[in-house]
Amino acid sequence: MKRKKFNYKRQEGLVGYVFILPWIIGFLLFTAGPLLFSLVASFTNYNITSQMDFVGFRNYEKLLFDDQLFWTSLWNTLYYVAFSVPLTTIGAIFLSVLLNQDVPGLRFFRTIYYLPAVLSGVGVYLLWMQLLDPSTGLVNLVLGWFGIDGPNWLFDPEWTKPSLILMKLWGVGGGMLLYMASLQGVSKSLYEAAQIDGASKWQQFRYITLPMITPVIFFDVVTSLIGGFQIFQEAYVMSNGTGGPVNSLLFYNYYMWNKAFKVFDMGYAMAMSWILFIIVFILTMINLKLAPRWVHYEGEAKR
Amino acid sequence: MKNMEENELFKKRLLFSLMAVLLVLSGCAGFQTGKENEVAAEADAEGKVVVDFWTFWGSEIRRPVIEKIVEDFNKSQDEIVVKHTFVPWGDIWTKELAAIAAGDPPDVVINDINATALRGQKKQAMNLSEFLEKDDISARFYPELWEATLYEGDSYGIPFNTDTRILYYNKDAFEEVGLNPEQPPKTWDELKEYAAKLDKKNGDTYERLGFYPLFGVNYDVWMLNGSGHNFVSPEGEVQIDTETNLETLNWLLEWKNHYGENVVNSVKSQIDSQQANPFFTGKLAMFVNTPTFYTQIRDYAPDLNFGVAMLPEKEEGSGHTSWGGGFVAEIPEGSSHPEEAWEFIKHLTDKEAQEYWAVKNYDNVANTEAAEAAAKSPDMPEKDQVVYQTAVDNMQNTLLTPFPLAAPDFPTLLNPEIDNVLLGKKTPEQALKDAQAAVEQLVEENKSK
Repeated sequence: MKRKKFNYKRQEGLVGYVFILPWIIGFLLFTAGPLLFSLVASFTNYNITSQMDFVGFRNYEKLLFDDQLFWTSLWNTLYYVAFSVPLTTIGAIFLSVLLNQDVPGLRFFRTIYYLPAVLSGVGVYLLWMQLLDPSTGLVNLVLGWFGIDGPNWLFDPEWTKPSLILMKLWGVGGGMLLYMASLQGVSKSLYEAAQIDGASKWQQFRYITLPMITPVIFFDVVTSLIGGFQIFQEAYVMSNGTGGPVNSLLFYNYYMWNKAFKVFDMGYAMAMSWILFIIVFILTMINLKLAPRWVHYEGEAKR
Repeated sequence: MKNMEENELFKKRLLFSLMAVLLVLSGCAGFQTGKENEVAAEADAEGKVVVDFWTFWGSEIRRPVIEKIVEDFNKSQDEIVVKHTFVPWGDIWTKELAAIAAGDPPDVVINDINATALRGQKKQAMNLSEFLEKDDISARFYPELWEATLYEGDSYGIPFNTDTRILYYNKDAFEEVGLNPEQPPKTWDELKEYAAKLDKKNGDTYERLGFYPLFGVNYDVWMLNGSGHNFVSPEGEVQIDTETNLETLNWLLEWKNHYGENVVNSVKSQIDSQQANPFFTGKLAMFVNTPTFYTQIRDYAPDLNFGVAMLPEKEEGSGHTSWGGGFVAEIPEGSSHPEEAWEFIKHLTDKEAQEYWAVKNYDNVANTEAAEAAAKSPDMPEKDQVVYQTAVDNMQNTLLTPFPLAAPDFPTLLNPEIDNVLLGKKTPEQALKDAQAAVEQLVEENKSK
């Protein structure tokens, strides 16, 4: 009896593995393989074509203690992440709550706000470069109506990163969609009960809505944090491939790409990618550790 | 100077990607011709050696020209078939690198001349000296271009096309303010003097700007013009914090202060938008750009009465040094048919093909004889010839700034310092001193590798 059950279980497990085999092969070949290779090569002077000599920790030492642009690029990236992640999260929640109200023309507004998330890539960046133009751009024109003398946006090193963050805020529609889906799932009875107890709108939002959508907030924060550290394209396009005034748009991945494909210092670039991996890994671990304190799963028993 | 180059390349890259998108959008027409070509090449290939030739020339204008050159070569003999593959600008060199690493590269690739020596050093491009010993074609090209392809004395790529920077000026505006339209400025002082005369102000706004040195080119071109050499010598000597560069930087700063941040930004954005270049409309009297900028004048402002000249020199006798770049044909390391590839490269850089390219694309070519001939080509209208001739003459003033092997990415350290000066956040003295130290450190680090 016992043995048969075991076999059945094992067989089922095997079948499962067979089903996910394509993924396993793909993962080992195209993700785990290169990942390991880059770890090994980060301890060499690998340049893709002609050399790969072991140099110990030299790449890492140089990065942390000698490289003048490593800290610049890391600072730029941290600045961007520190502002863009909270702002886009709050922006997306705010929008989704607004668009969850019962007002006429709701579908129209939902479409309008979601539209930017559909558009992406170089076209949008070029469009924003025009919008942010200091003298002829729409943004400064509108600011002018309110008597504000708009900044030089992409030409002023103080404003280049805020420019990018502003552009990101315009595209919060993707996150908004997630929040809207989760808002729809919040049980109406909770609100009814609260109303009967005399809770205000704000109290309802603060003590019902927010806790109920924390799993999605958590997901959004983790993924956009990881994505934020990998910012590259925006800076590359919007600085015309130069890193922006005073290297203010020289983000981590951008600098890494320069090292890898411009001067073919691949070992060095791989060391950079591992440092970034460690940073993001630590931050994500902290996130996961903190999660139980504020993330609320429905039906979960709280101690 | 990488900065400038990148800027230029970057614009082209955007153009190409947009074109690639258009090609897809325009339906299958583009695809089918491409496929037919390939099929034809495959059929022809029976018993012949196929040479895979990668370029980023996929535009409506360039593609037919390069394909005609390929076709001529294929017809001229019956042993080799060249297959032209268009790879978009954004991908071509990373794909090439991957193909080399995988051991299955194309046989001929068009690449950036500024990184040819670097790729030679890294064994990405093949050492061509064995072919050059048999037939030495080095005398075909401008010596400055040839020099740029050398790593430790051996060539790793054969120059194909090039460019330079010249001064365009509005003759009508010159006449209006009493300047001789046949006498463009010859020195920086004259340039400033003429510009002041050409400035036209209405209240607080400029109706016309005389000149601003950082439209069309970057600071590095003027520093090269002033000093006559790159910031880092091929041997790795850093020459940033020099008296000459300091003077140049101060000169640039004077221009900036003369017009002020807002005027400069607003005119620059008009130039960048490529919709209404102020030079076309007479709102900018003098402008530095490449000879191919002429084709834009021809297309968008055919009635503009303009002249072209060499860049003014810093002071009398310092030299009208200009700056250029270009592309080379390389054989990637590991190509399976290098001999045949070489045969094709010879054809590609020979007078006939080069002249055809020059005339059809209105582009500067590397082959001296072809360039001279193109300037006199009956296929070019007179005005085209005048500008082209100026470009050809200017080649003797033109220097290239190939990436110095000791510090190929030094501009990422220099650019921010210069930015700071122009933004008024650092004194020129301090900035040059800091940049000198930073680049010296980079050279040191690279040595220890």
